Parts: sequence; structure tokens; C-alpha cells
Amino acid sequence: MQANARHQKHALATFVGLLPLIIFLALLLYVGLNAPNFLTFMNLKLVLAQSLPVVLAVIGLSAVVMAGGDDVVSGGIDLSIPATAVLCAGIVAVITTAGLSLVLAAGAALVACMLVGGINALLVTLLRMTPLLTTLAMFVAVVGINNVITSRRRLDLTSDAIASLRQDFAFGLPLGIIIVGILVLISYHLLHRTKWGLNLQAAGGSRDAAEISGIRVNTLVAQSYLLAAFMGFVTGFFILARGNGYSPGTEDNLMLEMVLANFLGAAFSPRRVVTMWGAVLGAVLVAAISIGLKTIGVNVFWTDLIKGALIVTVVALSAISERVR
Amino acid sequence: MTEAAFRLRDIVQVFPGVRALDGANLTVHPGEVHGLVGENGAGKSTIIKVLAGVYQPAEGHIDVGGTAISPATPEKIHAAGVRFIHQELHLVPHFTVTESVFMGQELAGPMGLATTRMRRAAEAFMRDQLGSALPGNRLIRDLSPAERKLVQVARALIDGEARVVVFDEPTAPLASEEVLKIMKAIEQLKSRGIAILYVSHYLNEITELCDRVTVFRKGKDVAVFDEITADTGTELVSAMIGRELDAFFPATSRQAGEVALRLQGFSDGQTFEDVTLDIRRGEIFGIAGLIGSGREELVDALYGLRRRASGTLTLDGTVLDTQSAANAVANGMVLVPRDRRHDGLVLPMTVEENATLATLDESSSLGLIDRKRIREVTQKLIGDLDIRPANARAVTRYLSGGNQQKVVLARWLAKSAKIFIFDEPTVGVDVGAKSEIYQLIENLASEGAIILMSSSDPIELVGTCDRVAVMMRGEVRTIIEKDALNVDHLVAMTTGATDMPEVAHAG
Repeated sequence: MQANARHQKHALATFVGLLPLIIFLALLLYVGLNAPNFLTFMNLKLVLAQSLPVVLAVIGLSAVVMAGGDDVVSGGIDLSIPATAVLCAGIVAVITTAGLSLVLAAGAALVACMLVGGINALLVTLLRMTPLLTTLAMFVAVVGINNVITSRRRLDLTSDAIASLRQDFAFGLPLGIIIVGILVLISYHLLHRTKWGLNLQAAGGSRDAAEISGIRVNTLVAQSYLLAAFMGFVTGFFILARGNGYSPGTEDNLMLEMVLANFLGAAFSPRRVVTMWGAVLGAVLVAAISIGLKTIGVNVFWTDLIKGALIVTVVALSAISERVR
Repeated sequence: MTEAAFRLRDIVQVFPGVRALDGANLTVHPGEVHGLVGENGAGKSTIIKVLAGVYQPAEGHIDVGGTAISPATPEKIHAAGVRFIHQELHLVPHFTVTESVFMGQELAGPMGLATTRMRRAAEAFMRDQLGSALPGNRLIRDLSPAERKLVQVARALIDGEARVVVFDEPTAPLASEEVLKIMKAIEQLKSRGIAILYVSHYLNEITELCDRVTVFRKGKDVAVFDEITADTGTELVSAMIGRELDAFFPATSRQAGEVALRLQGFSDGQTFEDVTLDIRRGEIFGIAGLIGSGREELVDALYGLRRRASGTLTLDGTVLDTQSAANAVANGMVLVPRDRRHDGLVLPMTVEENATLATLDESSSLGLIDRKRIREVTQKLIGDLDIRPANARAVTRYLSGGNQQKVVLARWLAKSAKIFIFDEPTVGVDVGAKSEIYQLIENLASEGAIILMSSSDPIELVGTCDRVAVMMRGEVRTIIEKDALNVDHLVAMTTGATDMPEVAHAG
């Protein structure tokens, strides 16, 4: 009877864990039925192209969550990635608009972004502050700085190199998709196939266990925030390419979609934990939903509500799944 | 005699205000299982930390395998082949067996992790060295507690350099059948010439497993037993506490009264089914059962910590509402929980605050707490229960296990409850304090309280209870009456060693 009960419990936990995925696929199916040309190659390309900034941001975020643990309140999280991304976009736009070289702009942006990551790392590891609050505060502060730098106005793209990310490059795919694809493969190897990546996951899985095994948890956590900041830096260029320039306010939507994609990704993993590749698949799915809702003519403001509700649902379901187990 | 695997001589370790080790000696030879026993506070944990290089003793010599190590640091000790199996498991639930075994010592090739090689090595080690054939890709959270313990052992030993292994209370969270797996693994390590130091409160395990035993008392080794038989147990107890323990369990002439508390058809739909029990006033009623028998879940359901699917609880014929813990307390039923550190006490609070937590309403007026009254109540409870230190403002975190348990008890005594549920009342409590806690429970019963005692320790149940219900696979298998209550019979019933005509379960 007990083995049976445990089995039922296990099945229930699995079902609850998969529920976010089921909800998303149902939503996608609904969109597909209402907009017949939604599921075509051209549109798939559009979805991928649209998802690039979220994919990049979520690589950084998933690393931080893996290193800090996936507890929504006390675990690792970096909400400042979207702010870092727009900071990079803002700096690059301002410097290139002023007629200076792209290399100089990229260098300045890199320094600024890594500074944000470094401060995050120090606050979280040395001062033992809660990542959720620390990075939320950092998000607000960095967006503020960015508004000062850009005077909160729209800046058109002047760099051809960035624009070329949108051009088709090979196999009918744009350069941007290919670059991000390569970055995803490299990060996958780094986070899931190396000693460093496994130690990172151990640190987040059980801090005590990792420390007793001689793993330097603080160093790994700090490195994860630096990696996140670097991914934020890369994301900046893709925001410029996608929006054909810098527009204020991009960070809000990016934040929403990044968090959603990250926790949705846990449903892809057989262990029901946040993984980098799960998060990337989540990011593509989230982009598909966004575009899908737009295609069938849902009001933009409603879209935000739907996404917000989805985040709550996904996180709640992961909490329930944890409790059932 | 062969060269000692390690030898600690004349160790003195001083903490502010305490001489934790006062000239202690401990010698363990290769290929032996050496028991280390002593009451809480005797210096067992301290000497282990000295050996681990965590503490630097003020005086004394440490040598491992004939080589003096001075000063001892964790790195040097590890390099000398000494490994520690901590009481806590320290495993990541969503990691596989392989990942857990190799945590922090992963094998890597030029193309990243050598996953296949690690998996083969982990599986071979678990199978050949520890006698447990576990698939390397099984997740930790799907393992039984004993299997998790073995994974922890494998992690410490996988590098093949271990010459001394220290087990600190390895079986504390395990049911007795699971203990056998650990014991088998230890026998196997011993046969390979590894020296094993086995620290445990369970004297039956010590006498069964160990070749020699060192007894610690007050920071010193007071006795070393070179020959261990099943009868050594009583000698060990007297060496540990330094006096003959004639009244370990309280003597009693108490007579139980009428049936007062009645459980009828209790089920939670998952872990236990159709439990019906009649409990008398002034009776100590025991519940025995392995982990997974439904015993713990039944206790939780009784107290409203777990939802019940069906079942009624009546006290003297009227229904008693215990659907939530708050209702249970309001209706005079209280629980002394098994995990007192998490469920029973607010550790950063003082003894006084903890003891009066449930009675703040009674000792306050208009929302203001009457400090003087609280102090008086607490001082009386500290005196009655002999809580040490006798300081109402001591922070409970720093009390010993036995004294923490007394603080939990003090809170409910202040509340003057009618029904007491004790869940594993003496886990992690030393022998002296155990005896005092049993006496307190006996006193409560004599005063007419209704007492339920759920325990995994058969000796404790036999020593204190009037009747014991044995649970197995979610059902009450039998109820053993006082005259038939002895350890052999109880253990046989609990583990299912004896077949039993199905009688109890018809009721």
C-alpha cells in the first residue's frame, strides 16, 4: 500500500511539474488554431529572432539560480540582468551616435556591466544580502543611471555591424541566431559538462554539502554573477539590433520574460530543477507566446497581465510540486 | 601489537570557562571497529574535532599511522587518510548517486567531465566495497535514508586513500532494518584493514559491532573495554555515568483507570489505515513501528499536523477537535515533537520565553505581559524539572539535548494539559537526562494524565509503557499487554520477524 502511495505521490509530483509546460503548449495550440500561418518556417524564424535577448539573459540567470539554489525567496536570482543589458545598449547607442568607434563603445559598456556584476557579487557573497532584494535594488539603480546617460530618449542605430546581426548569414538564418546558437552550446558545455558547472550546481543544491566537499561556494556564486553581467552585456547588442536602436523601457518586458522563461524551464528538466538548456527552451516558448498573442490581436496591456499571471502560476506550481514530493 | 592507526595522547582542550578535554587518550588499531561512547558533554564531539584538525588542543600529541602530526590541520589529517562521516547527510537531493559521490573531486577529461568513468567507478565502489548495488543515475531524493548514508560514505572513501574512518552517529535517523545495511558496510571496510571509530548513543549497536570500546566521561577516557559481548552493555552504561544505574526506568505501582481517549477508524488515505485504539486515564500507552510504518504520520494526524481522511477522536465520550494544532492545544492535548530543534523550540529565545510561549494569554493582562509572574512560573518549572543551567535567561540553543527537551516539557506543564503525546522523547538525550525524563512522564501518568508515547526505541517502550501498539505497513498489528511486554517480543513484532494471526486489525 505504501509503495503504491509513494508511487501515486511521485506521479502527482511529476504531473504538477509538467503542468506549466502543458498550459503553455495549450496556449500555443490555441494561437495556432486561431492564426493558421503562425506555425510556418518564416514565423518560426521570427520567433527565434525575437527570443534572442531573452535567451541570452536567461543563460546568465540560470547560472545564478544554479549557483544560489532555486528557492524563490532565499535562493540565487539576478533581476539586474535586464538593466545591465539596457545599460550596455544605452552606452553603445550614445557613444556611436556621437560618432566614436564601436570598439570604444563596447569597451566602455563592458566595463560598466562588469562593474554592476562585481557589486552584485560582493553584496551577495561578502555581505550575505538576499539576492532577490540586492539585484532588484541594483535593477532600479542601473536603470536610473541609464536614464541619465541617454536622457531617456530614443536613439537610432548607426552601427552597421550591429545591424548585420539581423541579416541572413547562412542556411537562411540571420547572423544573430547563429551567434546565439554557438553561445548556447558553449554555455551548455560550461554549465553542464564541466567540473566548474557541476560544482556550481552542487553549491546551489546544498551549500553545506558543497562546502564540506571542499567546493569554494562563495567564489562560484560570485563568478555566476559576473557571468550574468557578461551575458547582460551581450544582450545589449541584440536589443539594439532587434529594436533598430535604443528605446527607453525595454528592460521591463525583458525582466518579465526572463523570469518566466527561467522557471518555466524547470518543467523541461527530468529533475524539475532550473537548468540552462531548459531556460533557453523556455525563452523560445515565451517569445512564441508573445508573438502568438500579438498575431491573434490581443491587446498589449492584456499580454502583460497574461505573462504576469503565468509567472505566478509557474512558480506556484513548482512550489506545489516540491511540497507534494 | 601492530602500529596504531591513530593515537591521541593527553589531549587538553580548553574553551572559555570549560575544560572540554582534560588529558584524554584514544587509540584505534587498523582493522578494528572501535566504539566511542559517553554521555552528552563527555567530550566525544570535541575529541573528534581535535582529530579532524578543527580544534587546536592546548596540550597533547596526535599521531596517525605512527607519524606525529603537529600542528594538525584539516588538510594534513585528510592527507594522512583520515575520513569523517558526519551525522548530517549533506547531499543535494536532485543530484545523482554518481554526482554526489564525486562532488568536489570530479574526474574530467580534455572534453569536460568523464561521466561514464565516474559512473562506473561509483557503481563499482558502492557494490564491491559497501555491498549496495545502486544505479549511478538514481537521484538522491529517490533513495532510502540508509542508501543516502552509504552514498555519503562512498564520497569520503572513493579516492581509495582512507585508512581511518570516523562514523559520527551514522544510524540516528534510520529504522533498525536499515541499520543492518550500514553495519554490513562497516564490516566490509574493516575486513580491508581500515580502522573505524564508531560514535553512537545506541549501545546495542556498539556491543554488536565493535571490537573494542573507549568510554569517555567528563573530558577523559575512563575505561577501555577490550572484549565486547552482548552483556558488556550494562558495564558500558555504568562506566559512562559513573554510578550503578539501578533505577534507569522509574519503578511504579500506578494503576491505569478507565478508558478515556478513543481513536476510531483513523486513516489518512496514504500511510495508515483504520487505526482504532482505546487509551486509559493514567496510562502510558506506547506506539511502536519502524520508519514508514505510519507511526509518525499517525501522531501528526492526531495533533492536526497532518490531514486525516477519516476517523474520530473522543475523550470521555465527547468528540475532541484536534483538526489543527491550535485546536488540539486549546482542548488540552499537547505534543512534545520528535524534532524539538525545529518544531519544539524557538532556539534563539530564552528558556523563559520558550517555557511560557503557550501560556502568554494567562500571564498577561490587556495584552501586556506580566514579567514578574512569568519569572516565577519559569523558576518553579526549572526547579521541578531540574533544567540545567538553572537560568531562566539562558538561550535555549546552547542547552544540551536533554535540557532542551525539558524546556519543551516545561511549556506544556505550564499549560496544564490533560493529554500528552511524546514523539521520540529521548532522541539525542544522554543517559542521565533520559532517566529524568522517564520519571517526569511517569509522574504525569500518576497524576492522571493520558500519555501516548511514540518511539523507535524498543527498550524505552518496554521500560516505561503499560501497553504498546505495534504498527506495521500502516496498520496496528497487535497491542502488547504489560505482562507480555519484553524487548525480544516487541522487536520481533515491530520488524515482522514473528508471524502473527490477524486479530488486532479486525477491530
